[in-house]
Amino acid sequence: MVNAKIMIVDDDPDYIKVIKAILEKEQYTVVTASDKTEGMEKIRAEKPDLAILDVMMHAWQDGFEMSRQLKKDPHLKNMPVLMLTAVENRTGIGFKSTAGDPTWLPVDVFLDKPIEPDVLLAEVKKLLSNKAENGTGI
Amino acid sequence: MEPVSENIRLLKRAYWLVRLRWIAIVSVGAATYVSSNLLGIELQNAALYSIAILLALYNLIVLLLLNHFAKKGNEIPHVAVKKIINVQISADLLILTVLLHFSGGIENPFVFYFIFHMIIASILLSLWDSYLQATFAVLVFGLLILLEYLQRIPHYCLRGFAPTCLHRNILYILGTFFVFATASYLAVYMASYISVRLKRTERAYMQANTLLQKKDQIKDEYVLRVTHDIKSHLATIQSCLGMVVNKVVDPHDEQKVEFVDRAYTRTIKLTNFVKTLLKLTQMRLNDKLEIDVFPLRDTVHNAVAAVRTKAEDKSIILNCDVDSSVDTISGNQFSIEEVFTNLLLNAIRYTPEKGTVTIGAKNGMDCVVIEIADTGIGIPADELEDVFDEFFRASNARKFQKDGTGLGLSIAKYIVERHGGKIWIDSIEDTGTKFWITLPKGSRQFQAT
Repeated sequence: MVNAKIMIVDDDPDYIKVIKAILEKEQYTVVTASDKTEGMEKIRAEKPDLAILDVMMHAWQDGFEMSRQLKKDPHLKNMPVLMLTAVENRTGIGFKSTAGDPTWLPVDVFLDKPIEPDVLLAEVKKLLSNKAENGTGI
Repeated sequence: MEPVSENIRLLKRAYWLVRLRWIAIVSVGAATYVSSNLLGIELQNAALYSIAILLALYNLIVLLLLNHFAKKGNEIPHVAVKKIINVQISADLLILTVLLHFSGGIENPFVFYFIFHMIIASILLSLWDSYLQATFAVLVFGLLILLEYLQRIPHYCLRGFAPTCLHRNILYILGTFFVFATASYLAVYMASYISVRLKRTERAYMQANTLLQKKDQIKDEYVLRVTHDIKSHLATIQSCLGMVVNKVVDPHDEQKVEFVDRAYTRTIKLTNFVKTLLKLTQMRLNDKLEIDVFPLRDTVHNAVAAVRTKAEDKSIILNCDVDSSVDTISGNQFSIEEVFTNLLLNAIRYTPEKGTVTIGAKNGMDCVVIEIADTGIGIPADELEDVFDEFFRASNARKFQKDGTGLGLSIAKYIVERHGGKIWIDSIEDTGTKFWITLPKGSRQFQAT
């Protein structure tokens, strides 16, 4: 999917800058937001092809809540969601293993920060081609 | 220790009673056999063996009843199990009396076994119920020896054991009965005393355990929060440097310098975060705070002088108004000055250009009241109660200023409270924030918290 539009929601401007540079180098169009509210607004307005979310933004589980909100919305539920976090697990339950669970963690891929540019690009490419084929991420 | 519900505990005790009774049943049979066949004591063997069989049947019924309740799990009716235990103990007392009747009555030394029942009752039942059981024991045993004395029921002399029949010996009867009654009540009194204390201790341990588990959870969340904050910085530093090292950005591109710059700034932030965290931990671990009596005016002026340049950079008017009556306070001057400096820096940070920041101090009843006010962005009303929590940063503060550890106010609160003072806040979003601090005057004893 050439020129696909990707949304990054993260409260860390430096990290946004990094991800943005990696994605823009591959000709993706990047839109950014720094919190859940701004993220939801921009996603509705910009209709990106993929969203990259941080787990812990302002509040503990902003990223989780946002992913649930996205998958509940009939217009947005087909948009693949990639989640990034600096804390892989909480209370011993790995988040990664629950990725894709429609109620607990409705995201398509869960990755640990920091992420290698190659890995990120490969995942993005895979999710976008899945979306093109099936019309959905999960 | 896993907390067990009171119902389950009670049921377990009821089972214990059943197990004890199996031992008693076997003992009755064995004792009857040994006494009559080996020792040649004259006993009502048929009656005693029959009672043992009846006792076994009765125990089986109780066991089935308890199994029925056990299936209900946590739904076990508390009152029903308690009643079963009460009835069991009464029935045991009655059966022991009947056994005694067929084996010599007052002549049989097994009369002391009533004491065991009193101890069991004290462990399993409430104090009131235990005394009732003791009264019941005294009554049935009293009735037995009375009826035997009056010859309303037959007395089976324990020939081969007691030298003579004693059921008509009034002095012996009264003496034994007196000792029996007092021993029963004393047994209940003593066993209950220990039992109640044990139960209280157990409850205290359970409460402490719950509290510890809660604290442990808070600590876990704290560690997770700290780990997240540290790893976020590290992840960004690594990613920024990765852009350069892995040549994602062109080596001749200006972006290269920008990513290195960002990584550098983040290392400074990370160091500051770790330093602040260490400081907070050290303060908590350090019980001693060096206390002096010092003039508050100087401390306020020092704090104002330390932040003046920052205020000027943003064209913020910095006012200082210490009432002439304000004298000395006792505390750690360095820490207090740090609190003022931090609150002033916070006020300047979250106040837009050309705003006003004011610090004032005046005398209260037995304390000095310090007020720090600004015309800044304020704090949303629903977030006010969280501002002193560690790592908390108000939602609008995050937007206004990206940087901040969320630890500054926690440290301020900690220092003020260790001085026996108080700190509180009032704020209106988009209008301003006001902090009040009270610190004890003069030489009041420093409180170690």
